[in-house]
Amino acid sequence: MVRFTSKRPILLQGHERSLTQVKYNAEGDLLFSCSKDDTVNAWYSHNGERLGTYGGHNGTVWTLDVDYQTKFLVTGSADNMMKLWDVETGQCLYTWEFLTAVKRVAFSEDGELIVCVTEQRAVAQGAIRVFKINRHDGRIQDPEPISLFHPIGTKATLASFGWDSKHIITGHESGKVAIFDAKTGEELRANEKAHHEPVTDLQLAPDRSYFVTSSKDKSARLHDSRTLAVLKTYTTETPLNSAAIAPLRPYVLLGGGQDAMSVTTTSLRQGKFETRFWHKVFEEEVGRVRGHFGPINTIAVHPDGRSYSSGGEDGFVRVHFFDVSYFKARPYGDLEAEE
Amino acid sequence: DADEDIDYTDIDEKYAVHYDESFLDNIIVVDGIPIVKAERKERLVTKLGQDFNRLGASFKPGSLHMPWDDENGQNRGYVFIEYPTVDQANSAIAAIHGYRFDKNHAFAANRFADIEKFTNMEETYVEPGQEEFKAREHLRAWLGDPQGRDQYVILRGDDLQVFWNGRNGSSALVIGRPRWTESYVAWSPAGTFMATFHIQGVQFWGGPSWTRVRRLVHPHVKLLDFSPGENYVVTWSNEPIQIPENARTGPDIFSSDDEGNSVAVWDLKSGFVLRTFPSGQQGEDSATKKMVWPMLKWSGDDRYVARIQPGQQISVYELPGMHLVDKKSIKIEGMQDFEWCPWGDRDRDDQDGKTKGKRARENILAYWTPEVVNQPARVTLMSFPSRTQLRSKNLFNVSDCKLHWQNQGDFLCVKVDRHTRTKKSLYCNLEIFRMREKDFPVEVLEIKDAVISFTWEPRGERFCIITTNDPNFGNAAPGITIKTAIHFYQLERTKGDFRLLKTIENKTSNSVFWSPKGRHVVLATMGSQSKFDMEFWDLDFTGDDAPRSDKDPGANIQLLNTTEHYGVTDIEWDPSGRFVASSASAWRHTLENGYALWDFRGQELSKQVLDRFKQFLWRPRPRTLLSKDQQREIRKKLREYSKQFDEEDAAEESTVSAELIASRRRLIDEWNAWRIKVKRELKEEKGK
Amino acid sequence: QELSAEMAARKTKEEQQSKLDHARAEKEEAEKREREAAKTKEQERVRREIESVRKGEQQKIVQDLIAKGNIKVNVDDIENLDTQKLVQLQVEQIEKQKKEVNDRLRIIAKRLDHTERAFRKEERPLLEEDYTR
Repeated sequence: MVRFTSKRPILLQGHERSLTQVKYNAEGDLLFSCSKDDTVNAWYSHNGERLGTYGGHNGTVWTLDVDYQTKFLVTGSADNMMKLWDVETGQCLYTWEFLTAVKRVAFSEDGELIVCVTEQRAVAQGAIRVFKINRHDGRIQDPEPISLFHPIGTKATLASFGWDSKHIITGHESGKVAIFDAKTGEELRANEKAHHEPVTDLQLAPDRSYFVTSSKDKSARLHDSRTLAVLKTYTTETPLNSAAIAPLRPYVLLGGGQDAMSVTTTSLRQGKFETRFWHKVFEEEVGRVRGHFGPINTIAVHPDGRSYSSGGEDGFVRVHFFDVSYFKARPYGDLEAEE
Repeated sequence: DADEDIDYTDIDEKYAVHYDESFLDNIIVVDGIPIVKAERKERLVTKLGQDFNRLGASFKPGSLHMPWDDENGQNRGYVFIEYPTVDQANSAIAAIHGYRFDKNHAFAANRFADIEKFTNMEETYVEPGQEEFKAREHLRAWLGDPQGRDQYVILRGDDLQVFWNGRNGSSALVIGRPRWTESYVAWSPAGTFMATFHIQGVQFWGGPSWTRVRRLVHPHVKLLDFSPGENYVVTWSNEPIQIPENARTGPDIFSSDDEGNSVAVWDLKSGFVLRTFPSGQQGEDSATKKMVWPMLKWSGDDRYVARIQPGQQISVYELPGMHLVDKKSIKIEGMQDFEWCPWGDRDRDDQDGKTKGKRARENILAYWTPEVVNQPARVTLMSFPSRTQLRSKNLFNVSDCKLHWQNQGDFLCVKVDRHTRTKKSLYCNLEIFRMREKDFPVEVLEIKDAVISFTWEPRGERFCIITTNDPNFGNAAPGITIKTAIHFYQLERTKGDFRLLKTIENKTSNSVFWSPKGRHVVLATMGSQSKFDMEFWDLDFTGDDAPRSDKDPGANIQLLNTTEHYGVTDIEWDPSGRFVASSASAWRHTLENGYALWDFRGQELSKQVLDRFKQFLWRPRPRTLLSKDQQREIRKKLREYSKQFDEEDAAEESTVSAELIASRRRLIDEWNAWRIKVKRELKEEKGK
Repeated sequence: QELSAEMAARKTKEEQQSKLDHARAEKEEAEKREREAAKTKEQERVRREIESVRKGEQQKIVQDLIAKGNIKVNVDDIENLDTQKLVQLQVEQIEKQKKEVNDRLRIIAKRLDHTERAFRKEERPLLEEDYTR
């Protein structure tokens, strides 16, 4: 295993509390971040300069997504609202309000649909809604979803459009992973035992044919988007909060860490919280990058595969640029995996 | 898994024998009685009465009949005993059968109705339990590992896992069972048994299939101590023994005589209780009482076990009878502590007759008495059982003494903590007895600082001390790590005394871990909240190439590596002296629990971070079966062995790497095939 | 007459003054030269001393290098060694020592491992006997 060296990482200091999600746009020139401090930021990914802030939420912003044209930004928050923003002007175009917090939002590949997961509370069942988006005039939106359903049994906390826009993949608190029909809400497939503790992140491969999940059960898994078959398992010794699939190299990036309470003071002091790189096919750890002063909450890889960002419990976003060693490293000789 | 719990059914079955109630069934016959002449008959009968009584099989006077061989004027080696009821007779059989009367005699008890069977075997002595023992698996089979590996056990939560420690930090699981113990795990001194602790008692496991070899029922057992030869164990429970009404009786369980006691001595081979004692606590009154463990100290040959009553006496019991030797304790006014001299390889060779014309040295014990008015403190060496005072030495201005035996019994160091006349500052004398020389010469080394650690090199002629003159010593605030200095001394053969080899100043190390083979040492800072360093040293680095010079006697001492294990709580060398394990136990804190394996150079071979990790223990090994000559021969031919091992290793590595490459190739092929298929399907669907 | 006498006297005085001035200038000049010379001399002395110390140190380093290991240094060349060369030699020396330590460690490790394995190997048949005994 190697300790990957990165050219000097860029530290984005625009959040006062822990990060909840980071995400690149399709071109990769912009990076979006949201945090428990109620704010949403956009950054130039190559130099870390702040492009702007999207202000309006009154609670932890749990989630965000940006469409394929970098036209609209969607955010979901503990203030029970989902907001649609104009990426360029920073204007809030439309607000949907629910009875409970919004835990996850995601655009479909074509930007026509948004899937939204709201939390289960005494006042309301957990729900998954799909909204049809008016892409011509963002200010005029249908307040009602085109479909609404309530997964039974365990709470869903994560959702994303799957193989295509007709399918929604969900991650659940029990460790379950499932596929729902986006229109009817019918559960088409489920893997009840994908993990044995809450699923914490769910990210798709660029072509959406497979996806990675991370879990508090200290493992991450690669699943077939259509069958939910578990393709690979990556077992670590720490609860995981995020997992991402790297383009270009056959790696998955995993982040997490023990909760602050059980973490050693040295680890905290020395910034020992590491992003772990696992070989996607061999299920072996190949390298680590350290730097955060607390658990890593969210990871996103640049679409060109040449850099990545991690958002930590410590309130920092770190943008790392891979150096030559990362691309030259061939720990397994000339065996090459298909992307 | 409930299967692993102690259950009584097999014991119950074993003893639940049902007989027809005929008139002879209340009579039992006991075989294996010592043969004595007429003048000792009465003594034997009395002794039998006492022992049977103690075993819970007492009989009325006159109900014992001892058949007599008039021709030879001696008994026939068996007795008949009549009990009032059949039940009592049956329980007597259970209690007596297998009982070791003395070194040469063990009893076999049976129904009189079966007497026919015995008419032909009057004089033949069959060691009871032996057959059962032979039928067992080879308990030392693990030593036959073709790769010469060692094993270790780890405790995580209540789960135990035993591993082979392979080369370069690789490991292979030997066996793992969930909830195998209820508190902790221990190995016997030669590694034959693995002991687990349960509410009901201790269980011992071993052999290639890890079956249960023995179980001792001692409710709420907390502590266990093995005799050095693995023949006996001592257990302690914080709850005094209670005997429920209608409890089964037998030699392997406590009887009403044991009620209220807390410490038990057991014969591990038979599983029988040999004797119980009140408590492991020592002290004048309840306020000063403290738990001292081991409460009983074993002589190196398993023949004696001794118990101290501080200030008064040492009581020595012989095994397996557990009778007070010569019916009297060794009375020593004011005596504070004692230790048996360990048995070295040469003592065992002498005993086994492997050395011509040499007889084994008698057991020796060392004890000390403190200063009282008009009388100095004193260390004494006494041989046992002759009770001869071999040597004694007066000491002055003593605050405390610690007895440190070198593990082969070649040297004894008495570390004497002394105070200046004003009692203001502490310093230290090391009084070193050379045990293999005539009249036991003593050398005194005066150390001007406080000595916080003294350790002998195992099987060696060197020792290491750690001293400190840090003003914080003794009243350090939390977070402060005491500054120390490390010193190595060596016996100067020609002069016969010890000289300083090297001093390493300005350290924080407070613990010394010698390789069991000597030579290599790990120095560590333990129990600190901020420092966790480990230093790997070699005391013979340049080996024979550079003989020690008078100018720089420490020139051979070399630091090999300095490392750190965050949160380390325990460090242990493997039995071969090739590897070191450091661990961070959840018993002490919950930060980065787990263990790391190092080679003797201090290179980390593997590290496991495991929550709920508690214990790491190398499986000890018995003394080698190779004679001194065989060992010398192997060392001489090492070059040949080396060549062979190098070839084996290279072959293994190439197989492993070939297998690894092949398996990776397969994984890549599978993945690529799947990717190509999926991509094609995607394309088709998009095209629609 | 008086005027001429006065003139002469003045002239004499002037001449005397001039002579005096000249002498003083000359003296000053000489002193200055002397000071300069002393200064140069002192500088030279210091320089030489530094040089000799440097040489001495170099010599010591070289002797050290030679003593510690068989570094290829021609003793006659010591004069010509410059500092850079010496640093390079020292680095070489350290590298060499490191390599020696590692080589020795590798040998010790092998000896430890192989002795242990040889003992265990030869003990194996005895184990069987021990069991059946």
